[in-house]
Amino acid sequence: MMRDLLRLPGARLVLHAAVALLAWLLLVGITGMVDPLMNYYIALMAMYATAMFGMTILVGLSGQVSLGNGALMAVGGYVFAVTTLNWETVPFTGIAMNGIWAMLFAAIGGVLIGLLIGGLGARLRGPYLAGLTLGVAVGVPAIANRFPELLGGETGLQLTVPYPAGGYAAAGEFVDEAFTEDFPTEQQDELPTEQIEDLPTEQVEELPTEQDASGDDLLTLDNFPNEGDVLTEGDVLTDGDFSADGDDLLTLDNFPNEGDVLTDGDVPTDGDFSADGDDLLTLDNFPTEDELPADPSAPDGALDPEFAVDPDVEATFDGLDGLDAGFILEQWQAVLAVSVACIVAFLALNLVRGRQGRQWRAVRDDSVAAAVAGISPGRSKVSAFVVSSVFAALAGAVFAQILSYVGPGAFGLGLSLSLLVGVVLGGRGSLWGAVIGAVLLVWLPEFVLRAAGDRGWEEQVTNNAPNLIYGLLVVAVVLVAPGGIVGSLQSLVRRVRRTPASPSAAGLAERVDAGVGKDDS
Amino acid sequence: MTSFIDYVLGGFGSGMIIALMALALVLTWRATRVVNFAQVGQAMFTTFIALSLQTLTGSWVIALVGAMVAGALLGVIVQYLVLRPVKRADTSGAIIATFGVLIALQAAAGMIWGGDSRAYPQPFGNTAITLFGREWPVSAYDLVVVGFAVILVVGLTLLFTRTNLGLAMRATAFNPEVARLSGIRVGRTLTIGWALAGIVGAVAGVLVAPTSAISPNSFDILLVFAFTAAVIGGLDSLIGAVALGIGTGLILSVVSGYSDSSNAPVVALVLLAVNLVLKPEGVFGHHKARSV
Amino acid sequence: MGYYAPFPHPAVALEDVSVRLGGLQILDSVSIAAPRGAVTGLIGPNGAGKTTVFNVMSGFVPADSGSVVLNGQHVHHVRPQQLTRRGVARTLQGVGLFPSLTVLDNVMMGAPTRFGVIADALAMPWVDRERRQMEERAREALVSLGIEGESSRLPSELPYPVQKRVALARALVSDPSVLLLDEPAGGIGEADMQDLERLIRSSVPDRTVVLVEHHMELVMAVCDFIWVLDAGQVIASGTPDQIRSDPAVLAAYLGEEGAA
Repeated sequence: MMRDLLRLPGARLVLHAAVALLAWLLLVGITGMVDPLMNYYIALMAMYATAMFGMTILVGLSGQVSLGNGALMAVGGYVFAVTTLNWETVPFTGIAMNGIWAMLFAAIGGVLIGLLIGGLGARLRGPYLAGLTLGVAVGVPAIANRFPELLGGETGLQLTVPYPAGGYAAAGEFVDEAFTEDFPTEQQDELPTEQIEDLPTEQVEELPTEQDASGDDLLTLDNFPNEGDVLTEGDVLTDGDFSADGDDLLTLDNFPNEGDVLTDGDVPTDGDFSADGDDLLTLDNFPTEDELPADPSAPDGALDPEFAVDPDVEATFDGLDGLDAGFILEQWQAVLAVSVACIVAFLALNLVRGRQGRQWRAVRDDSVAAAVAGISPGRSKVSAFVVSSVFAALAGAVFAQILSYVGPGAFGLGLSLSLLVGVVLGGRGSLWGAVIGAVLLVWLPEFVLRAAGDRGWEEQVTNNAPNLIYGLLVVAVVLVAPGGIVGSLQSLVRRVRRTPASPSAAGLAERVDAGVGKDDS
Repeated sequence: MTSFIDYVLGGFGSGMIIALMALALVLTWRATRVVNFAQVGQAMFTTFIALSLQTLTGSWVIALVGAMVAGALLGVIVQYLVLRPVKRADTSGAIIATFGVLIALQAAAGMIWGGDSRAYPQPFGNTAITLFGREWPVSAYDLVVVGFAVILVVGLTLLFTRTNLGLAMRATAFNPEVARLSGIRVGRTLTIGWALAGIVGAVAGVLVAPTSAISPNSFDILLVFAFTAAVIGGLDSLIGAVALGIGTGLILSVVSGYSDSSNAPVVALVLLAVNLVLKPEGVFGHHKARSV
Repeated sequence: MGYYAPFPHPAVALEDVSVRLGGLQILDSVSIAAPRGAVTGLIGPNGAGKTTVFNVMSGFVPADSGSVVLNGQHVHHVRPQQLTRRGVARTLQGVGLFPSLTVLDNVMMGAPTRFGVIADALAMPWVDRERRQMEERAREALVSLGIEGESSRLPSELPYPVQKRVALARALVSDPSVLLLDEPAGGIGEADMQDLERLIRSSVPDRTVVLVEHHMELVMAVCDFIWVLDAGQVIASGTPDQIRSDPAVLAAYLGEEGAA
């Protein structure tokens, strides 16, 4: 009965859309309940999952081992950055440029680079393709050096994230540091923190005056069900101006509204906030929601010391609740990443469980037989590459917004390898595997850091432990459980279900008995 | 024109190192039909070992020999523990496993020796040689590098053409089943192939280290160059790997000379892509008819 | 060219085709024709070039010279994946099934789809509708081969002869007017052989069948016309009775057995 229902035309669309929507609601709900650090992790996980849905299709279904997807993410990130930085309106339309348009352009960039590299790679056998994409992983980010004017060269581009509509936010060191903790070997040197000083100051003057309304709108969209829970103290939220300013506290942009805030007596005006905002980074020193209203002069984390250098900026922070602001930026990033991940998951579900997914597997299994069955192996491989490239580009655009930065170091070989590690550990060819891989990529380093902290390991041991574990796990998974975590669980379930006699073993025995199972094709 | 000649000559040393690393890739490919993407990781690791030995003993030669021994051991370990047990039906598995080894080796090196770049002592003069009244972009050290490369290539060629082991290796590379039937211990032959590749890679690592520096990731780019050279050379051909390795070094040197060294990866990528499209089996490779 | 005379309008033909691979002359001016609505056999000792004939017809091997007729039309360069759209289906030596797809999915792969990756990514209802039609056709093909009960199994779970039936079902699901069978009797038993014989005979005259086969009994039983290849050349052609008594054929086969 259920099965017949699922076979109705459009049932797949409804089912997968419902799954994606439920996941979105659940995750967005969670973003409203957790602290900024957790939201930052959620954003990273969603970003990785987005890229790895593409890896699932490319490596798992289509059987093309690619090391270039980090570079494909770079394409998305750079397209996002360059279009937002250089275009005020969408070309030929006059429509004001915004984050959605920039993401769209990033996706188009993904299509183009996917066609190019997928087209080159479609004729190549395993190791040749792996080598070509390795070249892509190393070579493409290096292109940024060729165009320092446009792409920022080795130092990259500091990016103004369109958040929320019309406003700007520059995430500061909080994000950078947390990020580099995850990738100790690669990016640490290359993420220039001093970039923050280079932020174009004219943006301050250009600040849209309608911030209050737009800020509130976006907030309610993202976190309506949970707002009450998080901000338990009503008097903080009662002032509309305040909450809107709170949105932008992280940024350099909201000084002009300062006056509004300060005139409002409800808002705490003590200056303690501004100076000592160094340490928002950890869960430990971040006050819980309960503490938040109770102790208005709690250490303010979201403030970046770099900001405090500027006296103007310092003044801004007077009387503003930095906790609230930090919360909102990270949550906004998490919601953005989760939204993109859910849209991509919807597309990936349709593809993996549709005709296209079976075609990819058919070509991977036996390209000659696929051709005879009317499937073009070349086209099929290119389409897998393009799909994975679009997903990677979207993930790259999200990454750019999480970091508020694009640079060759952020998209290096390490990122490409991480994606491969995640997809292999989670389970090649399974979308759940991609999700599990994403969680592993974010949480394993965190877990190791905690463990190392407890045991007092040296820093260079701690920093490298996650990668050592990844490398060894990848080898172990390939040797012992090629299906990764998801594949192993599936085969376990299958074994439990059919304990008495395995039909597959029986079939194999018969085939061997026949002695003619040799397939020459 | 003089600058062109300078750039070409300046590329010889790095070309030789690319050639050696490409040679290592070819040796493993011939032995087991696996491109060992962990090769530069192994070379990096053995170079760190060499650096430790050098610091300990002060002898460049002991360091080199130690690296070669370690390289052979590491090659055997990787082949025996990682590549041999990969299921044959899992065509992507071997490639992914080599990257797993690369990640693990880089992390292990970072743990032991730290993530920072370290200088490797220069054993011989690094100043340009002056001859015929002009300064040449070649140092004594470059000549040593070229000398080592030539010795290795000649030695390997002799091994493959003049010894029973070489014959067994060629037979195994050509057809393992037939080789097994004719009494060759195929498993051992394959492992020796990996040991040889490990030695060659280790030498390349020790030779390149003084000209750049050494860190867990510092050889990544060398992997791309060496892979490019090995593939354009045909993956199967020792001579192809050496010739194209030197060629790649020269091209990169000229490109870097006329523009900027940061272009080198892009140029390598373009070379690789063009070659793979025009002649996927490589310049020195044998075309194999597609079987249906 | 003389062999051409009996079939002025063949469904499938090679005209004067030569193929060289790696310095070897695999096919040497081969002209072969299969009349529409009949079963045509292609026999010859190992290495005679039978499979290469199929590979030229199906676009895996380009002809160095000569031309190819597929489903009544001259084609210059056919690609394997275009066969089904031209109304031609081919089986492969062995089974050529996709090990990770179920039997039903394997068979459905043989039916051409009208929609691309974007329609599939958006799960458009018309894609589902097409899939339903395909599934019905695939089930029909499985029924016609008597293996409808295996539709949700993986190929590796099935005995070899059943796998060969699945491969046949995949070829039939596109409802081809020309069916190229590459050693369909390889590795199957007596009972399966009889089913195969019945299937081939019942395919004509709606379809044209061309058959490469070693199993002489089957070839003689089902074929209307037979071409004999040896060392890349056509050495005889005719009805089964003519072939049975052809001295050149006897010599070729005896020669092979003598060498073996």
